[in-house]
Formats: sequence, C-alpha cells, structure tokens
Amino acid sequence: MVNPSPGPGGTSWPLSFGKGASTETRSEINSSKQSSDVILFCCSGKASFARGQVRFNPNIGTLLVFPQHSLTCPKGNMLPRRREHIHPPQHLTCPALTQVNVFVMGMLKTFGIFFVAFQEDVGGSSEQVSWIGSIMSSLRFLGAPLVAVVCRRMGERPTSILGAGLVSGGCLLSTQATGVPFLCVSMGLLLGMGFCCLYQAAAVMTAKRCRTRLAFSNAVARSGMGLTFLTAPFTQLLIDTYGWQGTLLIFSGIMLNLVPSSMLLRPVRTQLPLCPPASNEDRSSVPKGHPEEATNGAAQPSQPRGLPSTEPPAEPCSTGAVTTAAPGEAPTDSCCPETISEATKSCRSFPVLKEEKPQPLVDFSPLKDPLFFIFTWSFLFSHLAYFVPIFHLVARARTLGISSMDASYFISVAGITETGSQLLSGWIADQNWTKKYHYHAAYLVLCGVTNLLCPLATTFPLLMTYAVAFAIFCGGFLALVLPVLVDLVGVQKLHSYLGFASFFAGIAAVGGPPLAGWLYDYTQTYACSFLFAGACALLSPVSFFLEPLAQRWKLQKANVSMQSEAILQGSSGRAGFGCSHSQMPTSTDLQCQSKNC
Amino acid sequence: MKILQVTWKRGNETIKHINKTENSWGIQLTISENRKLGSYTCTVTGEEEFSVAFHLQVPQIEGREKPVISYEGDSAILICKSHSYTPIAWTWYMTNGSEQIAINDSLMLDKYIIDRTDANVTHLKILKLTKEDDGAYWCEAAYELGKSKGKLKLKILSLMVPLKPFLAIVAEVVILVPLILLFEFYSKKKRAEDEKEFDQIEQLR
Repeated sequence: MVNPSPGPGGTSWPLSFGKGASTETRSEINSSKQSSDVILFCCSGKASFARGQVRFNPNIGTLLVFPQHSLTCPKGNMLPRRREHIHPPQHLTCPALTQVNVFVMGMLKTFGIFFVAFQEDVGGSSEQVSWIGSIMSSLRFLGAPLVAVVCRRMGERPTSILGAGLVSGGCLLSTQATGVPFLCVSMGLLLGMGFCCLYQAAAVMTAKRCRTRLAFSNAVARSGMGLTFLTAPFTQLLIDTYGWQGTLLIFSGIMLNLVPSSMLLRPVRTQLPLCPPASNEDRSSVPKGHPEEATNGAAQPSQPRGLPSTEPPAEPCSTGAVTTAAPGEAPTDSCCPETISEATKSCRSFPVLKEEKPQPLVDFSPLKDPLFFIFTWSFLFSHLAYFVPIFHLVARARTLGISSMDASYFISVAGITETGSQLLSGWIADQNWTKKYHYHAAYLVLCGVTNLLCPLATTFPLLMTYAVAFAIFCGGFLALVLPVLVDLVGVQKLHSYLGFASFFAGIAAVGGPPLAGWLYDYTQTYACSFLFAGACALLSPVSFFLEPLAQRWKLQKANVSMQSEAILQGSSGRAGFGCSHSQMPTSTDLQCQSKNC
Repeated sequence: MKILQVTWKRGNETIKHINKTENSWGIQLTISENRKLGSYTCTVTGEEEFSVAFHLQVPQIEGREKPVISYEGDSAILICKSHSYTPIAWTWYMTNGSEQIAINDSLMLDKYIIDRTDANVTHLKILKLTKEDDGAYWCEAAYELGKSKGKLKLKILSLMVPLKPFLAIVAEVVILVPLILLFEFYSKKKRAEDEKEFDQIEQLR
C-alpha cells in the first residue's frame, strides 16, 4: 500500500511501498521550486511501463525519492509506438555460454583419449604426455587475469572471437605435431588460453545480461557440461575413422563454430548520454537508473537540472551501474526501461564525460578488497573439495572390491544428478528468498559433512548414496559460484575480480591432483582423500561469516570519501544516493537518505 | 564312478609311460623341439567318458584389432610386444596379394626402419606412406621352440578424407558470420529510425 507523506510541491515523497505490494502511481510531479525536483529511484524489482502510467511491483522495501529532477510522465497517447526492436533477446547469451562449456569441458575430458593416441604415435613417456593435459586445464584458470585485462580493453565480443580463433588455430597446428614439446605449446598453451578467453567473456556477458535470473542461467549453462558424456564416444569414433590428426582437424572446425556464437555476445550499453541542462523543463528527465543489487554502487550524482549559472561539470545521467538500458529490452530485466530509453533518446546533447578515473591497464583493485579475499578463499577450498573425490571415487570403489563396470555407474549417476541439482539450485536461488551466499554456504557445509561420512561407506549401495548426495550438494554450490561473485562485487568490475579469483583457483586446480596422489601415497588408503575434501568443504564457507563485516567496512570507507568529495564540491544537489535493502547484499557505498542530504 | 581306464594321447599316438598315483594319472614330457609341441589329450573311461586337452604352444603375439590410421606422405609406426617371454628375433612381413613377404630394412633404408633396441618390443616405422602400403602386416617372434605371429592392419587415408567434413563445417561458419552481421546492421538501422521518430514526437510536444 502506498503511504505517502505529503511533501513540497504537491509531490508525495518519500514514497514507500510495502513489500510485495503492487501499486499504480501516476508520477506527474511538477514543481515550481528547483530544489524540490524529484527523481524517482527504483531500486529493484519489476516495473513495466505502459501508456503514461508507471506501475511498480517492487519486492523490496523502500523506494527512495530524492529531490533532484522533475519527472513528467508523457501523457498516454504521445508515447512512441513501442516497436518491436529486432534485437537478440537476452537469453541468447546463455546458449553461448552453454556452448562454450560443452566444447571446453568436452575437450578437456576427452583429452584422455588423445593421450593414448599421442603416446603411440608421437612417442614420449606417460608423464610427458600428461603435461599437455595439465597445461591445458590449468591455463584455463591461470590465464584469467591476463584475459580480464584484454576483455576490459577490447570488450567481450572481440575477446571471445579471439579465444575461438586461438582454439581453432591450436587444433589445426597440432595436426602437424612431431613431438611432445610441440604439442605442449600448440595444444596446451594455445588451447588453454583460448578456453580461458572464451570462458571469461561468456561468464561476464551472462552476468551482465541475465540479471534477474543469473543463477538459473548459469546453471543452465553449466549443465552443458553434462552433455560432455557424449563427446567421449564421439571422439573415439572419430579417432577410429580418421586417426588423431584427422580428428584434430575436425575439432578445429567444430571449435570454429564458437565464432558465430561469440558474435551473439552483443555489447551492452553501459552509459546513457547526458541530460540537457535547464532549457527544457517539460521534457521527461532521466530517471536516474537504479542500483540494482548487482551493481557497484559508485556514487553517481545526478546533474541538477535547472541550476542556472553554475554549470556543474557535465556528468552522465546514468549511474555507471545501469547496464541494461538497451531500448526495447525486456522490461522484466530492469526497473524503468521505457523511461530510460526515452531519456536515451532525449538526452544526447552533451558529450559524455566519464566520472571514474581512467582505468589502469591491470586493475589490481580486487587485491585490496576484503570481499575478494572472502570469495577467493571459498572458491579455492570449494574447488579442492570438488576435484579430489572425483579423482578417487572409482579407485576407492575398486579397493573395496567393486568391479570397475559398477564403479563407472557412480560417475554417470553422479553426472546426471549434478546437472539436475545445478538447475534446481539455480532456480531456487533466483527466487530470492534469501541471499545467494547463504545457499552457497549451506551446500558447502552439507558437502563437507557428506565427505566426512564417506569413509563409512563400504558397500555398493552406501557408496552410491554417497555419490548421489555428493553430486546434489556439489551441483548446488557450483551453480551459485558466479551469482555469488556478482552479488558481492557487482557487474562493472566483474572482469578483474573473476580474473584474479580464477587465477587463485587455478593454483588449487594445478596442485589438487598431485596433492591427492601424495595423500594416497602417504596414507595408503583413499579414505583420507575424502576426509581432506570434507575438511576443505567445511573450511570454505567460513569466510562468508565475515561478509557483513566486510561490507560495513567498505561502506564506511566509501562514505568517508564521499563526504569529503561532497564538501569539496559544495553543491547541495550533488549527493549520490543509493537504494538500500536489507536483503540484497549490495556493495552500494552510498546510503544517503533523503533526510540526511 | 569307477575309473576303468585313463589314456593319454597326442593326436592318434598313445603315450605309454603314465605316472600313476592313487588318484592321478600323469605324463612327463620334455619339450626339446618344436615337434613336441601340440595338443595332448587325456581320456578317462568309466561308466562315461571324459576327455580334456592340453595345448602346449609358443607364446602368442597379440596384434592390433583396430587398424592403425595414417595419411599419405606421413609415417606410421607399428608395434608388437612380448613382455613375458623374450624372443630371439623379430621379423616383419607385409602382405602382397596372398603372399607374405619379409621386410628387409637394410635393403630399403629410406622406407622401413625396424627398431631393435628392446628385445621384448619391436617397432616397424614406415616412411613416405603411399596407398600401396595399405594392408595387413605380420610381426613374427622367433622363440627357441618355434615362431608366432601377430597381425596388424594399416589403413592409409588421403588428406582429402578428413578435409571434407572440415571444409563443410568451415563453410557453415562462413555463412553464419555474415548472416549475423547483416542481422545486426539491420537492427541498428531500425533503432536509428525509431530514434528519429521519437525525436519528432518529442519536438511536437
């Protein structure tokens, strides 16, 4: 229900809407006083715009209305006819990520088949040939910071195309291989870096586009990995028909298919042009955009319209955080799409000035952010907890006397269960009943407990139960890795954060298998690997307990810097504002409420 | 069952010296030459007749069931192993029609190379492959008591064979890319038209 308190100029503000309420409000707020201009600030939730009315369906608490601009909703019939823009809808990026996942993981998993062929033909000991595989899979993580830099400079689409080109070229070059070192470079290095580019670009693009349904889209994309069980027999068939060189040639053609799918990763507009100053008061002004829960709440003061002589430095209308402002985009994705789109069309007279400092080439800021360490700690340990049991499950089954045929059922059942559980977990997380990292931590704890109980499983039914439970919980937390990072950090800086986090995870991935092998050699039993994995899984959510503290620390730091900036600027309208919501973990630094500014 | 008679035979020839104990009837053989190898049968006659055969043979060499695939102009390596028993010598044969011709690598140095570094393993490397090299190859291990052969198949493909699917896929990609570019260009034009229309409406207000 709307409980407006009367405000100056006939405006009802601050408007607060109860949670889950749907209200209709005609926001024709004309005010004679410039200082009581109002801007509507939509925090999150769905809004649809039709015919001069703005309908808000907020499922958050407060809508802060803050005096900055005047907003005139266009009268019904004057609205431009809403044309259906031919525009690849947002859900096309999810197939791109799925495809990347299928190809990348498929290639990595079928490397074992190539291993045999390489050993026979090219020669070299088992250890030398396995270097190729490990370089390939570890570079996928370790190359991430470099790729993040490239992505930020060039954009996601060129990076993705570059990645596809690297992979194709690497496969092509490998057909001419004559020795193991050649293969290490052509297959290991080139393919590894190519996969890294592809993966980073696709992940960030998914985060930028599929906002409200990020967890589910991520889960759908990851479920592409479930299809990789088809690639193994396919690869074997190809090798039997064409030999390993012919197979690599055909693979390079298949990987070339990633080029068109990368071209679908259309860049998303990140900045709205400026509002024209005082001249047109009747024009619809720009509603300021909205720091959604996934955005970095960088302070974006709005330009006070109608301020006469003191020309404030021209600033972009949008918060740097608005990214889904492409006109015609599905309104479920952003709060006030149509008004923004109008504003885009109307606000074009001033050149756009970036308020943020020019970004350095390599952005080391994640390393100064406590949230980054929280995330990386959990990412690292959860990766260790995931990989080690996978390596040792079949071996443990064999030592318990289960035949390898039955043991391979574990893998297939676990794979299917994991896919299903990822989808379910992604869907649940998207319902927003609680913060995503709560789910993440819960799955990790359950996974750890399951692993700790594994040494008790000594028969086939018990081990199968363990495999199913493990797959459920692992699928649960794997689907949420990217959404949790996006929640913590926002989409703007996702590249650098993801880059560095992947780098540290890569160290774990490189060290994980040898560590597991050493554990077996030292203890002569596989039970210890499971205990180790359980301990890692239990350690990993510990860092999330520090998250509220870290948020508060960041907020204080940002408030201090904002206040000092406000003092420097000395103009009343320049305070930024943010929408705070108790449920969403936002990194908005600004909590400037209407009364305080 | 009461055992009336136990006979040891090799082929049709009956072996006379049987070591008999209370429950077993055995024969002792000294295998000193190839002729002594073969199948030895023991037949037990009572109310019913049972017989069992023992096959004494030289170690069998396993070839490869799946063909080794290689390309024209490339080189291929055929490998035969016999780990538990070390043969005296290895010989390679290639099949020409129905005959088996021994491969003499000292005669044709630039075509065949036989690696004899390890006595348990033999490698035959064939260089400069052509279509005629396609077919079955035999590796024969000679032991003191006899020889044993393993079969390997070599299949030679021309470069065009995998190239065709590759080119088909590349063609598909080459068609898709301009399609997507056209699509984008078209939608950008539409957007520009819409913006112009909106501008006009705005100015009317």
